[in-house]
Amino acid sequence: MNTNITEKDGKYTVSLEGELDTAHALEVEQAMQPLHELSGKDITIDCAKLDYIASSGLRILLGLLKSAKAKGNKVVLKDLNDEIKEVFKMTGFIDIFDIE
Amino acid sequence: MKRPKLSSATTSQIVILITAAALMLLISGIQQNYARKQIRNNLERNAEMELIIKSIDVKHSLEDVTLALRNRSWEFEKFLHYPDSLFDVTRRIMEENPNFAGCCIAMVPNYYPEKGRLFEPYTLRRGEVIETFQLASEEHDYSKNPNFIIAAENDSSFWSEPYHDEDDLNVTLITYTFPIYDEYGDMAAIVGIDLNTEWLGKLLNSRHVFPSSYNLLLSGEGRLIYRPNGEIKHKDVEQIMGLINDSTAKHTISASGRVTIFSFVDWEDHAKGSVYYYTPNSIHPWSIAVVNYDDEVFAPLIKMQWRNLLLTFIGLLILSFIIQRSAKNISKLHQATLEREHIDSELNIARNIQMSMLPKSDETALRDDCDIVGSLDPAKMVGGDLFDYFVRDEKLFFCIGDVSGKGIPAALVMAVNHTLFRSVSAHETNPARMMQSLNETACQRNEQNMFATFFIGVLDLPTGRLRYCNAGHDLPFVIGKTVKSIQAKPHLPLGVMDDVIYTMQETTMTVNETLFLYTDGLTEAKNEKHEQFGVKRVEEVLKHSIENKSFASKTLIQTMKEKVDTFVNGAEQSDDLTMLAVQYTPKEKHIIYRETLTLFNKVSEITRLNAFVKSATSALNMENALANQIKLAVEEAVTNVIDYAYPNDTEGNIEITIEADESRIRFILTDSGADFDPTGVSKADTTLSVDERPIGGLGVFLVRNLMDSINYERTNGKNVLRMEKQYVG
Repeated sequence: MNTNITEKDGKYTVSLEGELDTAHALEVEQAMQPLHELSGKDITIDCAKLDYIASSGLRILLGLLKSAKAKGNKVVLKDLNDEIKEVFKMTGFIDIFDIE
Repeated sequence: MKRPKLSSATTSQIVILITAAALMLLISGIQQNYARKQIRNNLERNAEMELIIKSIDVKHSLEDVTLALRNRSWEFEKFLHYPDSLFDVTRRIMEENPNFAGCCIAMVPNYYPEKGRLFEPYTLRRGEVIETFQLASEEHDYSKNPNFIIAAENDSSFWSEPYHDEDDLNVTLITYTFPIYDEYGDMAAIVGIDLNTEWLGKLLNSRHVFPSSYNLLLSGEGRLIYRPNGEIKHKDVEQIMGLINDSTAKHTISASGRVTIFSFVDWEDHAKGSVYYYTPNSIHPWSIAVVNYDDEVFAPLIKMQWRNLLLTFIGLLILSFIIQRSAKNISKLHQATLEREHIDSELNIARNIQMSMLPKSDETALRDDCDIVGSLDPAKMVGGDLFDYFVRDEKLFFCIGDVSGKGIPAALVMAVNHTLFRSVSAHETNPARMMQSLNETACQRNEQNMFATFFIGVLDLPTGRLRYCNAGHDLPFVIGKTVKSIQAKPHLPLGVMDDVIYTMQETTMTVNETLFLYTDGLTEAKNEKHEQFGVKRVEEVLKHSIENKSFASKTLIQTMKEKVDTFVNGAEQSDDLTMLAVQYTPKEKHIIYRETLTLFNKVSEITRLNAFVKSATSALNMENALANQIKLAVEEAVTNVIDYAYPNDTEGNIEITIEADESRIRFILTDSGADFDPTGVSKADTTLSVDERPIGGLGVFLVRNLMDSINYERTNGKNVLRMEKQYVG
């Protein structure tokens, strides 16, 4: 599971690659930790190469969204595959996240 | 200003009164008409009798005169030779007959040459005084007097027409003349007796039926001989005379044919009267009439009219009073009927609501591992029986109950219990805990002391494990190889005591075993002889069904119904007849894949888990999307166990078995951690906003949504979670 954070065009981009299951949840969370401390910029999460997400992964995203919102920043999810989109629909997350 | 509208009740009351009044008046009118006729008939008869009697009296009076004179005829003859003695003769006649007004002997002209041509000794009565003198003179030539002429020419006696006295025009006289003869048989003189017709009056005016009635005596030429004095309406008399003498007037003849009748109306005061007159042979040619006035004749009738009117009025008052009362009663009745109909329709609606709360058989028809049929035949009134069943998480929850009493109160209590049953079984699988919950609510605010017998069962379909709790209800029967009552502690019904501790019993249902539940409407069904169907008969029927190998739920219920119907034989059903049959029909599964993996309760083990799951889904040739869903569900379930099953920092094992038949894949997760039922967790709310969303609780939610069914059992101190998904078809 790879988590890369870059800064581009005044935005933070996080690319998630691989399977975000419960086993990898902890390491991803730690990798995303800087984003909780930074502010002032919107965050894009590139999920093009994200094959799978479990509830612990959803939890991490939700946490990120909450903290960004508190600072007035936006979080956008990009390129979710169909299966992950289904999970988002099922859990209602599709309504709370901006999806591109 | 608008006229107030009369209610239809008032209108009909008025109509009735008017009709009654009209009827009464009509009857009264008919009666009066009849009475009037009777009175007229009586009057006619009375008048006739009066006329006859009086005419005879008159005749006798006249004859008194004529006889008296005839007796004197010898005297006349004797004294004919002595003309001067004739004065005394007249005088004596007058003295002897106080009712004579005058008496004269008019000699045939020139009978006594020495006396001249005319000689008429005459005696006159003036009050008390009698005067005798010679009446005739050239001025008073009696030979020209018609009476004289008629008597002389006819050589007979006769009564003259009435005439007024010259001296007193108020007096009416009538003269009886008769010839007297000398010894040679020649007419010597005409004797005339003047009579004041008042003398007849005494006869005529006695004995009247009516106070104002009077008689009239008429001469042959229709002139009044006598009419009474006093307060008699003279005008009427003239009118009557006119009518009597009018030959063109149409008069009625009496029934006997003798009396002529007519009526008249006084021109001035319009008083009506009737006249009856008669020309009897006895006083021919004279006629006698009697005059009656209607107001006296019909006086009793008029009295009767007034009395009738008063009675009618009183009668109508009484009638209107009665009508008022009965109108009130009728409207009360009407009200009561309306209310009753209203209640009946409400009861019907309540009944319909009650029936619609029962589960429909298609709710479980799709399942192949159980066969449930329920039946409720309501009694007339909406009742307190209930049954319910449904499947949640591969467990069949069912119940049957009977609330004390009938009608709306019982139905209400049952509705509450039903709702509670559904709501507790959403997160509770222990029937004793469910019963406890139901009892708590039932005991709260139970002023009416309604209680309900209840039986709750939870059948775990994968294992056949049956957990149940009984609250005073009739024990169900288990039909398998034999028929036996289920072993259950009775406890108390719901709503009796709030400190009852309900306990749960367990048993395992074998393949094709049927559980038969019922309420006392079955055992207490009565026939016309008031005999009860009884528990023994129920058992008999169940035993027979084993023999006939026909104890599938539907058949069982049908058979039982038929037997009860036959027994009851048309007698009225007094209580709801409720039955529920639950048959356990697990099907043999043809397992084509089975693998087991044991994990430690560490998150890192998830990787091994996912690989294990992947190998199974690949082996079964599952398509990717489905396989991923399954992977997610299993991961979530196991994560939950890792997080919650074992206390922090303790090591524990988690065993996963993957089993598949041709169409379904099953995951069985076993751990020996703390008792935890993930199926009881309340569903996450996916509609909450970002800020409201809690960070957790999604695990079980995803498991439920991704898998077809989940099932949890605590078996032998272990948590066993089953998840199943159809992967083919």
